[in-house]
Amino acid sequence: MSTTTLPPTEKAAPVSAPKGTISDRARSERKLGWLLAGPALAVMLLVTAYPILQAVYDSLFDYRLTDPDNRSFTGLNNYVVILTDSTWWTAIAVTVFITVVTVAVELVLGFALAFVMAKALSAIRPVLRAAILIPYAVITVVSAFAWRFAFAIDTGFVNSWFGWLPGVGADTDWFGGQMSALFVICVAEIWKTTPFISLLLLAGLAQVPEVLQEAAKVDGATWWQRLRKVTLPNMKAAIMVALLFRTLDAFRVFDSIFVMTAGANNTETVSFLAYRQTISRLEIGLGSAVSVLLFLVVVGIAAVFIKGFKVDLSQARGEG
Amino acid sequence: MVGRSGGRAGRPRRALAGAAAAAVLSSVLAACGGGGGGVPTLTWYTNPDNGGQAEIASRCTDDAEGRYRIETSVLPRQAGAQREQLVRRLAANDSSIDIMSLDPPFIPEFAQAGFLAPIPEEVAQRVTEDVVESAIEGSTWEDELVAVPWWANTQLLWYRKSVAEAAGLDMTQPVTWDQLITVAQEQDKLIGVQGARAESLTVWLNALIESAGGSIIAQNSTNPDKIELGLTSDAGVRAAEVMRDVSRSGQAGAALSTATEATSATGFEGPDAGFQVNYPFVWGQALTAVKAGTLDQAVPDDYGWALYPQVDAGTESAPPYGGINLGVSAFSEHADFAYEATECIASTENQAYYFVHDGNPASDTAVYDDPDVLKVFPMAPTILDSLDQAAPRPQTAYYSEVSGGVQREYHESSSVDPETTPQKATDFITAVLRKEQLL
Amino acid sequence: MSRREKNWWIVAGVLIVVYALFPIAWIISLSFKAPSDLANGQFLPTKATSENYKLILTGDASDLFLPALRNSFGICLIATFISCVLAMFAAYAIARLDFPGKRFILGTALAVAIFPVISIVTPLFNLWRNIGLYDTWPGLIIPYLSLTLPISIWTMSAFFREIPWEMEQAAQVDGATTWQAFRKVIVPLAAPGVFTTAIIAFFIAWNDFIYGISLTSTNAARPVPAALGLFSGASQFEDPTGAIAAAAVLVTIPVVALVLLFQRRIVAGLTNGAVKG
Repeated sequence: MSTTTLPPTEKAAPVSAPKGTISDRARSERKLGWLLAGPALAVMLLVTAYPILQAVYDSLFDYRLTDPDNRSFTGLNNYVVILTDSTWWTAIAVTVFITVVTVAVELVLGFALAFVMAKALSAIRPVLRAAILIPYAVITVVSAFAWRFAFAIDTGFVNSWFGWLPGVGADTDWFGGQMSALFVICVAEIWKTTPFISLLLLAGLAQVPEVLQEAAKVDGATWWQRLRKVTLPNMKAAIMVALLFRTLDAFRVFDSIFVMTAGANNTETVSFLAYRQTISRLEIGLGSAVSVLLFLVVVGIAAVFIKGFKVDLSQARGEG
Repeated sequence: MVGRSGGRAGRPRRALAGAAAAAVLSSVLAACGGGGGGVPTLTWYTNPDNGGQAEIASRCTDDAEGRYRIETSVLPRQAGAQREQLVRRLAANDSSIDIMSLDPPFIPEFAQAGFLAPIPEEVAQRVTEDVVESAIEGSTWEDELVAVPWWANTQLLWYRKSVAEAAGLDMTQPVTWDQLITVAQEQDKLIGVQGARAESLTVWLNALIESAGGSIIAQNSTNPDKIELGLTSDAGVRAAEVMRDVSRSGQAGAALSTATEATSATGFEGPDAGFQVNYPFVWGQALTAVKAGTLDQAVPDDYGWALYPQVDAGTESAPPYGGINLGVSAFSEHADFAYEATECIASTENQAYYFVHDGNPASDTAVYDDPDVLKVFPMAPTILDSLDQAAPRPQTAYYSEVSGGVQREYHESSSVDPETTPQKATDFITAVLRKEQLL
Repeated sequence: MSRREKNWWIVAGVLIVVYALFPIAWIISLSFKAPSDLANGQFLPTKATSENYKLILTGDASDLFLPALRNSFGICLIATFISCVLAMFAAYAIARLDFPGKRFILGTALAVAIFPVISIVTPLFNLWRNIGLYDTWPGLIIPYLSLTLPISIWTMSAFFREIPWEMEQAAQVDGATTWQAFRKVIVPLAAPGVFTTAIIAFFIAWNDFIYGISLTSTNAARPVPAALGLFSGASQFEDPTGAIAAAAVLVTIPVVALVLLFQRRIVAGLTNGAVKG
């Protein structure tokens, strides 16, 4: 399938630089690069380097916060305990389910909304844009509370309003079963975080060169063809960032589950396990091991995404 | 949030605003001053409430006559989050904590970890005089008093007088769970129990097991590998039976699997209400609703109360015990002042004030003779009897594992199987305690 | 645009507004319900009351809520600003310049964003207490930077990558200095990406709960989500949902204003017809 992007510009090669040495220009470019990017890197590492290393170190110990004298080195034993526990694998399954469902729906919905924000009737455009972005502004915990209240049997209106649907009645306990609880959780997550994707896709849309759209129109391409061959390929970077970060966040979902079900009926996610071991049990060793494993899994997902999209943000000057 | 007893609402409110302002101001000053010279300030970390603790702090500051000052600092609403904040700081030997409002199940953990300053003998004597047995038990670890008993909560059996009359159930005699189920089924009324996957489930199971004569922990130990559970004992099996029977009776409500104390209380205000087991706050809640115009006065007029249901007829029931006890941090710089302060906070007058203002029953038996208390809480004598019989939850430093395991295996309460669930729970909790499994 | 199309847009518009704002209407409705009315099973309150708002603005909860509001806005705005500036420089360098370690920076940003905060909090708490940053604004701003920088860097890099840099060269050929070329040509093109990033960074910092509750202990630095966890109901068993909803409504209004302000910037590129080959 052919796609249409702007032709890459030619990279100016350093002139008469002997092989194996760097030209002055290149060296000053390096210096400038580190000067500009260094502070950001430093700040990120400053805050998290010590805690992350501490957590990884702790994961090798049997360490309970209220019993520091009995701390003992156990090597990879914590990891063995976790990986042989069915609770872990159930949590992974639930987490994957929530992630796949929410991200898939959000991508489609988010794209549709981004499109609306960009192309809507100019009279209603500001209203639409504001309305679409507002869910993202609501504090996550409050949103979870609100959705829980809406669906709960005693406080909510969902059962009475949607009683005409098959399977929904005055006594439907949404949080009493795994699938129905997951449904509510997913709906709440989708409502709350679709604006994130819409925003990124909107800005991505704004960057698609008009000239290519015009050219495609002139060539007689239909709307769908233009979307597939012109718009989407030029938004690849934006789509990748949106998808990547949204997936990473979805995989670590915690607040909604905590507020709505507290993990009941097999709705525990991996973050929940980390929370329980670290905070409820104060087993720092086990909890850190769960965190490290969660980290590795998510890094794996990120790697798959980045390789799959074949978008290298660090390739400069339109080579990609 | 809303003053309950009409005439008193004004004074506590104004005093409260003053106390709050003083607390904010003094915390700013304390932050600037850094404690060099001037009156020592004791920081009391409290759970959120209706303003009672702040008021008591200011009263006890006055009583201190300038030797020290007490300020409150509020912790998160959920008990687990309170524990999280406190443990993190105490594990770092934070000296900014002096007095803490502690949920009783955490007290063994704090004591075992060395977070609580030892209580002087005379103080221990005074603060346990005329105090209900369950509160003393809840403040004790390894035969030593480690916290100061303050207010004690317990669950009563609340019933609708109209329903009990219609069924001919004699509520002046202790009733059993089976009787309740029968009556509820006959009259098609609801029994309110808390079946949510939360601490309330452990509370319920503990009450059932203790009422049947057993305990969740049969053989306690400070070594987690040596803790032996009593879930599979006859009492444990009986408790599981009762839990299953109530849940499957058809009268426990459609939302049983997510029912919390709050939803049970609200459900009891509804038209299908028959019985519920819950804390005394339901009384205040109903009266507030009447005042707000969302509930008819006839409803709270129909409320009756009795002791927690028995598991087996003739065997005294063991109602749940909860509440708050006061701990003094081992890293506090003014432990002696702090204990003096806790004695003031836990004094009979202040406990009576707290009972009336915030609806939290006292652990001091003398409070139950106070006419003001009796006026606002006509069920006070029943509460006292209940506290005398009450049994605290398992005392262990590994309480979160035990409770977490119980919650996992006994939820949903309608799928509890007396043949298999106790054994599964025992295996699971034992594995978790041995760190062979994740919670 | 034809009549038919216009009508379709209006229908779609209404549906979208309902989808987006219906839960917000629910929250607003909750905020007007008295505590005893919360369980009435209806959408609207039986008797609307402003007691929740009174409580958080002038009543018992006001000394929790009002300072928290100030803290949240201050901390989040500062964190967003610093984050955008740092990320802008870094993204420019990554997208535009050639230096070793670009992938390392992107990778580190990702790793920092991924690691579960729950295991970071306690070591950070200990560190902050020792340094003296505990319960201070910088004590929260710095961890918030670690939350916002990764997404900021990646987002801006993605957008900067799409900017045709030859326009900068063209401007330089026309006699502009590097700086002028950057300011007059690149900045308007980068604006959509920058403002998008600013909004996202702000909301990430805004929604944080765990740092807020663990790294603060008084009103000095406690942000709104943490303060909500400290609200109390009439008893320890009741969730003060009405008060929380009221606080959420009050807190969302200025944020919505902020969003409205920025949203025009994001699509300024579109309307300016900025990128013409």
